[in-house]
Amino acid sequence: MTPREKAILELVRLSEEEQRIADEAEKHGESGKGKRKVFQKYMIKNIVFLAIITCCTLVTGAIMPLLVNVPLFGIIQLGLGIQFSLFPVIGMMKVRKPFALLLQSLFISVFLVFMFPPMVLLIACALVAELLTLLIFRGYKNDWACVFAGTLYMPLTLPLLYMYYNVFYTVSGEEKAAVSMFIGGGNAGVIIGITIAVIAVCFVGSVIGMVIARELKKAGKLK
Amino acid sequence: MAFFRYKRNLYPLIAIASALIIMVFGLVMARTVVCSYFLAGAFVWLFIFGCWKQCLKALPLFITVGGIFTLIAYYAANNNLFAALAMANRFGAVFLAIAPGMSIQAVAMTRNLSQLHTPRAITLGMLITMSFVPVLRGEIKRVREAMKTRGAGSILNPKIFYRAFLIPLVTRLVDISDTLSLSIETRGFTLGKSKYTVYKREVINYMDVAYILGLIAGVVLAVVL
Repeated sequence: MTPREKAILELVRLSEEEQRIADEAEKHGESGKGKRKVFQKYMIKNIVFLAIITCCTLVTGAIMPLLVNVPLFGIIQLGLGIQFSLFPVIGMMKVRKPFALLLQSLFISVFLVFMFPPMVLLIACALVAELLTLLIFRGYKNDWACVFAGTLYMPLTLPLLYMYYNVFYTVSGEEKAAVSMFIGGGNAGVIIGITIAVIAVCFVGSVIGMVIARELKKAGKLK
Repeated sequence: MAFFRYKRNLYPLIAIASALIIMVFGLVMARTVVCSYFLAGAFVWLFIFGCWKQCLKALPLFITVGGIFTLIAYYAANNNLFAALAMANRFGAVFLAIAPGMSIQAVAMTRNLSQLHTPRAITLGMLITMSFVPVLRGEIKRVREAMKTRGAGSILNPKIFYRAFLIPLVTRLVDISDTLSLSIETRGFTLGKSKYTVYKREVINYMDVAYILGLIAGVVLAVVL
C-alpha cells in the first residue's frame, strides 16, 4: 500500500468516525433532552409561517358569511371543514410545537369577529384539540398527531354553536322554526349524521394537508 | 390635541366593537321591521364616519347575495314576507358588520394592539395575516398563469388541482415565509421582552366617541320604540 493510499484510507476512517459520533449525539439528543422538551420556544420564522398559512385559511374560508344564515345544522363546519383542517395541518407539520394551532386561531379570530362572531370560539376549540393531542401524542413529532388535532379542530365548534343557537335564537322568541333547523330539529339522527360527516370532511382535509406537507418535506422545503 | 383632530379611520378596537354591535343586534332583532331601520341608520352612520368606501363595496354584495337568499326564504316560507325580511336583515347585519372591519388598516391594528401590550408574536402574526391577502392573491394568479402556460389542464380536476396548483402554491408560500422571516430578523425584530416604541400612536378622538355613542343610541332607540 502506497503512502497516498494509506492517507486516503485514514481520511475515510476519520470521516466515518466523525459521522458516527455526530449520529450518536443526534440520537442521544432525540431520545433524551429533545424528546423530554415538549414546550419549545417560538421563533420569528415559526410565527411568520403560521400567519401566512392562516391567511390561506382565512381567504379560503371567506364563504363563511354566506353559510351562517343557511338554517341547516353544521352547514358552516361542512362548508369550511376542508380549509380549516388542511392548512392548519400544514402549519402544524412545519412548526411542530405545541400551541401552533392555538396561535393560528388567535391570528384568524379578529377576522372571524366580522364574519360571524360566535366562530371566535374556535380559540377554545383549538385549545381543547391541542390539549387532547398533547395528552395522547405528547407533542407533534408524529404526523398523525397533527392530523388528529386538525380533525378535531372544526368539529369541536359543533357543540359550541349548538349551545349558541339554542340560547341566542330563543331570545327572539319567534325563531323556533329556524332554531329547530339550526340545531338539527332535535333529531338525534340528523345531529349524529352531520357530526360524522363533518369529522369525515375534516379528516380528509387533514390527511391531504399531511400528504402535502410530506411531499414538501421530501422536496426539502419543510425543514 | 389629538382628541379633537379630524381623522378618516376609526379607532381599530372601536371598529371591532361596532361590528359586534351591528351583527349581534341584527341577528337578534332580525324578524322586526325596526331592525331594518336600525341597519339603514347604521349604514348612513358608517358612511358619515369614514367607512363610505367599504359601505359601497359591501352594498352590491348584499344586494346580490342577500337578494337571492331573501327570495329563497320568501318562497320557502310560503310567500311569507316576515321570513324574507328576517333573511334580508340577517344578511344586512352580516355585510354591514364587515364594513368597519374592512376600514381597519393592518398597521393601525398592530399599533393599537402594541399600545395595549399584546405579545409581539400575536401582533406580528395578525399584521402578516391581515396584510398578506394581496400577496396571496398575486401568488394564486401567478400559479394559475403558470398552469395555463404549461397547458396543465382544468383546475376543477382534483388531481390537476393538487399537483399543478396546490403544491406549487404551498411551496411558494414556504419560500415567501422564509424570506419574510429573514427580512424581519434582519430589521432587528425580536419576540422577547425587549422595549419598543410605537411612533404613530392610535388615539381615541371625538369622532370615535360620537360614532360608538350614536350606534349604541340607535340600538337603545330600536329596542325602546
